Amino acid sequence: MKTNTMSYKCRQFFMFAGVTTVVFAAVVIAPFLYGLYLTFTSWDGVSKEKPFVGLANYVSTFGDAAYWQALGRTFLYSAIAVILVNVVAFILAFLVTSGVKGQNFFRAGFFIPNLIGGIVLGYIWKFVFNRAFVALGNALSIGFLSTSWLATTGGAMLCLIIVSVWQYAGYMMLIYVAGFMSVSGDVLEAAQIDGCTNMQTLVHISVPLMASSFVQCLFLTVTRCFMVYDVNLSLTKGEPFNSSVMAAMHVYNQAFTYKNYGTGQAEALILFIVCAVVGVLQVYVGKKAEVSA
Amino acid sequence: MKKKFVAMTLVTAMGLSLVACGGGGDTNTGGSAAGGDTSSGSSSGGSASGTGTAITIFNSKSEIQDQFVQMAEEYSAKTGVDVEVYYSSDTVAAHLATRYSANDPYTLSMVDAKDVYSLGAEHAIDLSDQEWVGNTNYAISVDGKVLGFPVCIEARGLMYNADAIEKITGATFNPDDYATLDAFKGLLDQLVAGGMEKPTGIMKEDWSMGAHFLAETYEEQPDVEAFVQSLYGGSADLANNAKWNAKMDFFDTMMQYNYAGDSPVAAEREVSEQKLAEGEIAFMFGGNWDWAMINAYDFSENMGMMPVPQNTDDGANTKLVGGGSKYFIIDSSENTSAEQQQAAKDFLNWLVMDAEGNAFLTEKCNLVPAYSNIDAAALDPLSTSVKKYADGGNLIGNYDYLPDDHYSVCGASFQKYLAGQVDRAGLAGEIESYWSSTTPVEH
Repeated sequence: MKTNTMSYKCRQFFMFAGVTTVVFAAVVIAPFLYGLYLTFTSWDGVSKEKPFVGLANYVSTFGDAAYWQALGRTFLYSAIAVILVNVVAFILAFLVTSGVKGQNFFRAGFFIPNLIGGIVLGYIWKFVFNRAFVALGNALSIGFLSTSWLATTGGAMLCLIIVSVWQYAGYMMLIYVAGFMSVSGDVLEAAQIDGCTNMQTLVHISVPLMASSFVQCLFLTVTRCFMVYDVNLSLTKGEPFNSSVMAAMHVYNQAFTYKNYGTGQAEALILFIVCAVVGVLQVYVGKKAEVSA
Repeated sequence: MKKKFVAMTLVTAMGLSLVACGGGGDTNTGGSAAGGDTSSGSSSGGSASGTGTAITIFNSKSEIQDQFVQMAEEYSAKTGVDVEVYYSSDTVAAHLATRYSANDPYTLSMVDAKDVYSLGAEHAIDLSDQEWVGNTNYAISVDGKVLGFPVCIEARGLMYNADAIEKITGATFNPDDYATLDAFKGLLDQLVAGGMEKPTGIMKEDWSMGAHFLAETYEEQPDVEAFVQSLYGGSADLANNAKWNAKMDFFDTMMQYNYAGDSPVAAEREVSEQKLAEGEIAFMFGGNWDWAMINAYDFSENMGMMPVPQNTDDGANTKLVGGGSKYFIIDSSENTSAEQQQAAKDFLNWLVMDAEGNAFLTEKCNLVPAYSNIDAAALDPLSTSVKKYADGGNLIGNYDYLPDDHYSVCGASFQKYLAGQVDRAGLAGEIESYWSSTTPVEH
């Protein structure tokens, strides 16, 4: 049987990737292209006609100050949240692989927040910030706890970041744990014999060997933070005074609540491009840093 | 062996926590999970029992979903028309959009007034020849055709807990005595002196402050349309507008006596409603739909709604603001057959013309009827007030043409005011600049 003919290659491809390709095209590629088409119309979401308006939606996107504010806010939030999530996750991973007693229990415990859906998580933390902390602050007369953080602009952002760290740190910890486990014992032993301290082993041996974990974790956290919507919705709902509206929420509001479907779609496209560029760039840079043992 | 035990314990713990979270999710979010449709049918009826016509109803009032489902079963059993009721907590237009693009619209959709104007011409059939049209003042017509069937009357005003007030004053509370802000302030001071330190609450939600309270400033103008046009044109001078100042004086008073005055933007609606229901506070601006929340608590029967107190002589302080709320439209597309449209018309007629339909609206769903032939004796306290003002012709009509982002943008500005971040002049400026930078809504 010839294995280098075109038909054979096609058959091979469709046998292994055919179903996935069809499904991917149907639920990702097709809607994406359709969405692209909608950015050139002034559709309101419900009417039968989709009047063609050229680039008008892109023009109004660039004139939509609230969108750029939301995008800037998303950058700030993502930058802080990504760093904190990964720092916390790395430290947790380090601790639960260092051989402490009951480390499997801790691994499971830190991972559990990730199993709770974002909407529920938002409501839980809303209760914590609005009631539990305030009650605690009043009972112990701690000034900065006695009013709800969610009521101030900076506080609401801080709450979002805290909840994101709590939500994602456990998940990223698992990836870092896998990274730590993948560093083979003989390399570590060799380092010890050469006289490395624990810290030196960590920085110069473990970390470079688990660079791929960093790439994965950063990619996952960056994209998730940029697209944050569920926690944003249930924790702050954009309040106070629309100062915690993230890009995704603004896009949703623009398209469905304000019924500017075309503009919302154009804004979503720009958000996608921003995410894609940041994500790809970060993976590209990260890959270069990977080494193999 | 020990390892196995630990592993089993962990699995159990995680499983339990998942179950717990799941339970929490259900009660917290209800149908509000993304896309949250809940369909519930009366599937049993169907073709076996009669004509074989099947219609779908979209209900957008969450508080009456259970009643609708039950009614659908009974209605199906009686008439042989298979009725299925759907609910979604999405924005009405956004939810319908998905059904329209799927070529699977509901036969009957319950929408808001503004949706009738934006969707009606394209998607709704003409109901002008229906019998109920003569019995209501609230039907919506577009281009001379009646398209929207009003489901009920809802109105905004100041909710009060008379029990809480009377316990302190010792006298029967008569809301008519407190039409002016001066009289109202006197009462508040009396309440404070009597031990109710903070007698008012404020809902900080943008829809409450933007779409409900701020909108009254427009709706109570002598010529609403002209005033809104002057806002678009940038010539309206809010800061020197008598109505604006009268309303804001009231709002300032509410802020002054607000139980959550330290951190008003953190006040949760549930907490405020509970305090009002249980008499910890006596007044809050809202509407009769708030009963759906109040009745979840240990409420006092002796509650009601009164006009917003204002120092004015234009009569607005003797009226509530409101009118028809939620409208049924019948789909006009080729996806809905003539039989289905007829069955939908029959259903609307049943609601208004049949005693059972009437009982469903007023007794089961607790709605204030929008039809002169329907009597409603057993409404909840807030709705009873609304009916009293509606029957007396004391409702100031809704303005249905506010831009879609008005409540969000202006509500945010109002929140800033509530939080003390802008003063009254600053708020007026933000609202004026919102209007002058917005494309007028065609109508």
